[in-house]
Amino acid sequence: MYLFSNATIYIGLAIAIYSLLVMTLGIIKKNQKLINSGKGGVIALFICAGMAMLSLFYLLATSQFKFEYVTDYTSSELPIIYKLTALWAGNAGSLLLWTFFLTLYTVMITFSRKMKGNPMVPYINSILLVNAVFFFFILGFVAKPFAILDTVPTEGKGLNPMLQNPGMIIHPVTLYLGYVGLSVPFAFAMAALIMKNMDDFWIKMTRRWTIIAWLFLSLGNIFGGQWAYVELGWGGYWAWDPVENASFMPWLTATAFLHSVMIQERKNMLKVWNISLIIISYALTLFGTFLVRSGVLTSVHAFANSNLGLYFLIFMAFAVIGALYILMSRYNLIKRSAGEFNSIVSKESSFLINNLLLVGAAFAIFWGTIFPLVSEAVRGTKVTVGTPFFNKVEAPILLSMMFIMAVCPLLAWQRSTVKNLKKNFLLPAVLAVVAMILMVVLGIQKAWAVIGYGVIALLFVTHYLEFYRGIKARRKMTGEMPLVALYRLMTKNRRRYGGYLVHLGIAFITMGIIGSQNYDLQTMKTIPLGKSIEIKDYRINYDKLDQRKEGINDIIYAKVTVFKDGKSLGTFEPQKVFYGHWDEPSSEVAIISSLKEDLYIVLSAWEDDGRATFVVKVNPMMDWLWIGSFMIVLGALFAVWNGKYQNLTPRYTGVRKEVS
Amino acid sequence: MNRKLFLTLFAAMFVLQASFIHVEARQIDYKSEEFREVASQFACTCGCGQDHFECDPNTCSLTKSFKKDLVGMMNKGMNKDQIRDYYVKIYGEEILTSPEKSGFSLTAWVLPFVVLGGAGAGVLFIIRKWAKKKDDDEPTLDIKSEKDEVEGEILSSIIDEERKKYL
Repeated sequence: MYLFSNATIYIGLAIAIYSLLVMTLGIIKKNQKLINSGKGGVIALFICAGMAMLSLFYLLATSQFKFEYVTDYTSSELPIIYKLTALWAGNAGSLLLWTFFLTLYTVMITFSRKMKGNPMVPYINSILLVNAVFFFFILGFVAKPFAILDTVPTEGKGLNPMLQNPGMIIHPVTLYLGYVGLSVPFAFAMAALIMKNMDDFWIKMTRRWTIIAWLFLSLGNIFGGQWAYVELGWGGYWAWDPVENASFMPWLTATAFLHSVMIQERKNMLKVWNISLIIISYALTLFGTFLVRSGVLTSVHAFANSNLGLYFLIFMAFAVIGALYILMSRYNLIKRSAGEFNSIVSKESSFLINNLLLVGAAFAIFWGTIFPLVSEAVRGTKVTVGTPFFNKVEAPILLSMMFIMAVCPLLAWQRSTVKNLKKNFLLPAVLAVVAMILMVVLGIQKAWAVIGYGVIALLFVTHYLEFYRGIKARRKMTGEMPLVALYRLMTKNRRRYGGYLVHLGIAFITMGIIGSQNYDLQTMKTIPLGKSIEIKDYRINYDKLDQRKEGINDIIYAKVTVFKDGKSLGTFEPQKVFYGHWDEPSSEVAIISSLKEDLYIVLSAWEDDGRATFVVKVNPMMDWLWIGSFMIVLGALFAVWNGKYQNLTPRYTGVRKEVS
Repeated sequence: MNRKLFLTLFAAMFVLQASFIHVEARQIDYKSEEFREVASQFACTCGCGQDHFECDPNTCSLTKSFKKDLVGMMNKGMNKDQIRDYYVKIYGEEILTSPEKSGFSLTAWVLPFVVLGGAGAGVLFIIRKWAKKKDDDEPTLDIKSEKDEVEGEILSSIIDEERKKYL
């Protein structure tokens, strides 16, 4: 097994190098046979990465502790699902997962029916293969997943209990699919620049792949937040940790690209900017990996310190400098086809402002993340840049972003006149102001909350009007029933209405964030058995403290009965779990959810006499955060889905060159 | 008269003494808003990545004693700025969860907005430049054009649908 599993890595490296060389040679010599050989290599590479994954899954599942990775991240009593998911618990395994996804994407593009006959394929392949060579090199010589120990331990060190949660099964997978996914638009962009061809097909394919990567990045962040909320016991979902920031930055720049590429599609403008956004997004994924693997910044998510970060830094520098060189060498060519705007006030202008704010938000996060290093270099003092900084700096930027998102749908392409603006915005603006006044009357008096909810109200009204107008126009022409008209309206323009669903999802998430950040209540109390804690309308009766054994883990739990306005909501069991193979215990919180708020109960500590300390929180509007997340996923899927009559990206029918 | 004065003074002393005792005995909820304002200013160095408001005193001895000290200072009547100054004097800026708004650290706060402002001015300049050329010679479109756009999209999708049915 040792030989086989290691062979998959080293043969994979050899095949990656061979495929890259043969593909490049095929491009230079315009030889289809060489290209085809390279394509065969891509399949072989995927098989190697797949075999390596299966090998590691097998070793983890069968607890073969002579392998260092298996010893470091599992123990024999670990449930099988967590033995398997330990594959992405450590440095080497997670990089193997990354490599597998990379080869998977490469195969998907190489043999995509839509890309058949497209001369870009060899170029895209070559760029992705450069990535594959790098990752196989790392797996072969730096972070080896199949390294063996000199002496075989009888038991493994176990998996961090924090990672033993359903959220951790899917969060890293989706995040990596997003990270790796961004290398595909990057490869498309580089191929287009090299071939001096950015046609309509290129735009459609690049956007499609960016939406896929964006969707997975969104899912990764959402699952991460959900995991933090239920597993870490602090009642939060986002801590502005450097590693969280690293996954949020490419999300922001990819979002900017998805909007600005529409201007390129309609007006053949902003080509340089769009390519730059793709390069930045890709570079930020590498930067994120550098942060996680280098230990250069303090992060709760970071893997053990290693010199891996240095390799990623070098690779990132190589990729960025190479990309910028290609971009600069084609600059005049791209610039030449620049168009013009018809008016200052138009949808195009709002997209530019949207880009400004999204990239500005990404820059602010980048600056805050690296500021400890800057400060240390300049003054010798490594300051902490934490939640208060990011909340204060990001809130106005992202709120402005929400405002642009609210008004954008009602702005016309090309030109909006004052008459148009008045007619379109009078009703939404009046309704938003009325909503804000109502909020103040009802007791919401924090300025940020009132402004934030006002902007959200504006967004809901403008989006409602957009749907209403579309349905009305469709009914006028076809006489369809309203629901049929809505269905057909949406399915005939999946991109637009999928985008609107995403907007609504973002609005729901913002509702949840504003509510939970501004109106949360907390208390920490130590009470004897039989007594209760009161918070807001809730009464939590402390009924029982007991313990039980589950496998090698000891669980201390409290039984509490929760009442709201005197009415029982049931009995719940906040727990503290002590693991046989881990020093620190973890909290299993009790969460009672409703659309209005979550009641979050943590068993914090206890005494011999039965007294127990509870942390109890009321987090308003948390469910809206998850509903919004679901809508984002739904909207993105709706946008990329190929409908019955819809071919979002038809097959390539452009010029066929010598090789493809 | 003297008796009345004496009783008033006695009552006043009693009230003052009672409030003094009350201050001494004041219990502060570690999850209260007033404690959050003070404790969330300071980063816990136990490796949890949290501030002293969030960090659990039942699993982190560092934050346990830190919280006790904070409560002591709050009971002495120190406000959050005084407590902040006290710790910064001892440990330096590193103990804070966000950079100071003075000296070099001010750049952390200001730079994002300076860059955003500069880029915003640049974007406005570009939009004006691009729009200027067309401003004079294009006829003004009004709301109707937008409506037409939606209707045009719907019409073309219906035609496309019919075309696919029969071809």
